[in-house]
Amino acid sequence: MTTPQPTHSEQQSSSSITVRRSNWFRAILLDWDKTQLALSFLIILLIGLSPLFIDSPYLLGIVILTVLYAYVGLAWNIVGGFAGQLLIGHISFFAFGAYTTIVLLNHYHISPWLGIPAAMIPAALLGAFVALLTLRYGLKLDYFALFTLALMVVLGIVFSKIPFLGGAIGMWIPFRGESWAMMSFVSKVPYLYIALLLLTIGVVVHYAVYRSKLGKYMIAIREDEAAAAALGVNISKYKTIALCLTAALSGMGGGFYVVYTTFVEPPLVFGLPFNVELLVAPIIGGRGTIVGPILGALLNKPVVEMVRGAFSAERAGTTLIIYGSLLMFFMLFLPRGVTGLLEKPHQKLRSYLLRKLESEKE
Amino acid sequence: MPIEILAQTLVNGLFLGGIYALVAMGLTLIYGVMIIINFAHAEFLMIGMYVSFWAFTLFGIHPYMAIILATVILFLFGALIQRGLIEPVLKAPLLNQILLTLGLSTLIMGLAQFFWRAEPRSILIPFASSSLRVGDLILNWPRLIAFIASIVLTIGLYFFLKKTKTGKAIRACSQNRVAAQLTGVNVRKIYMLTFGIGAALTGIAGVLISPNYPMTPTIGQTFSITAFVVVVLGTMGNFVGAFIGGLIIGVAEAFGGLYLGSDVRQVVSMGIFILVLLLRPQGLFGRMI
Repeated sequence: MTTPQPTHSEQQSSSSITVRRSNWFRAILLDWDKTQLALSFLIILLIGLSPLFIDSPYLLGIVILTVLYAYVGLAWNIVGGFAGQLLIGHISFFAFGAYTTIVLLNHYHISPWLGIPAAMIPAALLGAFVALLTLRYGLKLDYFALFTLALMVVLGIVFSKIPFLGGAIGMWIPFRGESWAMMSFVSKVPYLYIALLLLTIGVVVHYAVYRSKLGKYMIAIREDEAAAAALGVNISKYKTIALCLTAALSGMGGGFYVVYTTFVEPPLVFGLPFNVELLVAPIIGGRGTIVGPILGALLNKPVVEMVRGAFSAERAGTTLIIYGSLLMFFMLFLPRGVTGLLEKPHQKLRSYLLRKLESEKE
Repeated sequence: MPIEILAQTLVNGLFLGGIYALVAMGLTLIYGVMIIINFAHAEFLMIGMYVSFWAFTLFGIHPYMAIILATVILFLFGALIQRGLIEPVLKAPLLNQILLTLGLSTLIMGLAQFFWRAEPRSILIPFASSSLRVGDLILNWPRLIAFIASIVLTIGLYFFLKKTKTGKAIRACSQNRVAAQLTGVNVRKIYMLTFGIGAALTGIAGVLISPNYPMTPTIGQTFSITAFVVVVLGTMGNFVGAFIGGLIIGVAEAFGGLYLGSDVRQVVSMGIFILVLLLRPQGLFGRMI
């Protein structure tokens, strides 16, 4: 990414191509959003190279889950970060996706290559249902948060009562042999690239939403709903779109999760601990930012796994301790997350670049 | 269905509701005064249960004597949490507050699993299964005592808030923080006190149910969302409403368990919850404290 930059005196005299390339690079650095996007792609690239250095399936497994958590974090960020809605029981969408993919695979022998994208549909429908109910009855803020939690509990109980979905025991995918067509591999490396593909889709959609009018409307709703409505923003419409988008993306995440772990059960995918686990990444990374969920996932998942590896033989609960402490620490001291920390150095860099640009013109 | 079974179910529901009411009263008191949604609240119940367990196992203290211990421990614990964690975020956005208490809940649960192990424990005293027979009804003694205690505590809290100077100060803070401060109420102290009382009430509930319920570090989760159901049903911030709401939910769950099977009884309370949230989010009663 970082080609060595020619100095300015050289630039002016050297060929015009180098100048243009340097301008292109500078244009990214001058724009905080684009810098974050570039950082996201850089991280994806580096993770993509990681199988060259990592052999252990255990470590690769951690990398895969880190990528997945970053992806689900991006999904949450559309409703929770951009539109500012208190979506606490986010995992219901993830669970819907997981069940869709596994039902299609186990009962209908439909390959996960179709099953994972198909997981978007039921999840998005659930998102639309949540939007319909909460908007129709005007549930906001804390009531909305409690509603999403209650929904999670109810769905967990309902799912554990449906024999078609494996009931309380859940469902598992029998090993199908090494097969590209059925997305079944002995090695973990292909799963990593599928997860990275998901993350790339997530980054692109997330950024496109942020830069579009849609994203601006969502942010307007977050900042001041009444003012946004007064300016003619259709609150219900954009909240619904945000919820459906988040739900659809999370559903795909759930679909991949179940193919990768080959197992799903109601207490897990409708449970508060896993829900918190998925929430942590966008929160500590910086909600409402472009790269935040990715940085957050990079920060929490490997740390949690390391500590769990050191303790888990004799002690339970280490994961919960870390997630709890991370959430509390960031809410008390760094509510804007890691990305918020990076913003100031970037501003300095930006003003430095601008000054340089001025002096160049002279 | 025979009338005895219905009567027995009603009694069981009321007893369960008494416990819900105790947990919810602490939660609603804290909400009413500080307008903060405390997701860590049910962890106080879990701690109360473990206080009772350790007091009994290590020192042979009877669970009902452990009430004093649990009250003191949880009062101090609650007051410290308020000062150290809640006070700094009182003016922060709602999501920050919720995530903070969610983090606290996760942390406490994790610590309990780490130090006290995840498997269920119970207090083995013969008293736990003793019961009183009234006609055809079987009244389990610990549950009966817990029920009576919840009524006594509700009445006690009511008079504390209505009649004492401190209680009036708490109500003043709940009505208008600034005005209370202007009349000389030390708001920060009152907040700590309120949080302490809320935690202690829930801790007492934990001790009261410790003879009957096998305890695990995640038991708070079972009660956490139910406590919110009760609080919303009885109007957030109204603790008499919380008491009545607790009884309603307890009875609803008992009958739900009778007709649908005990593992799905939570669907009944969650169904009521969603209906109340959608149709009457202000709860059954007006706001009063």
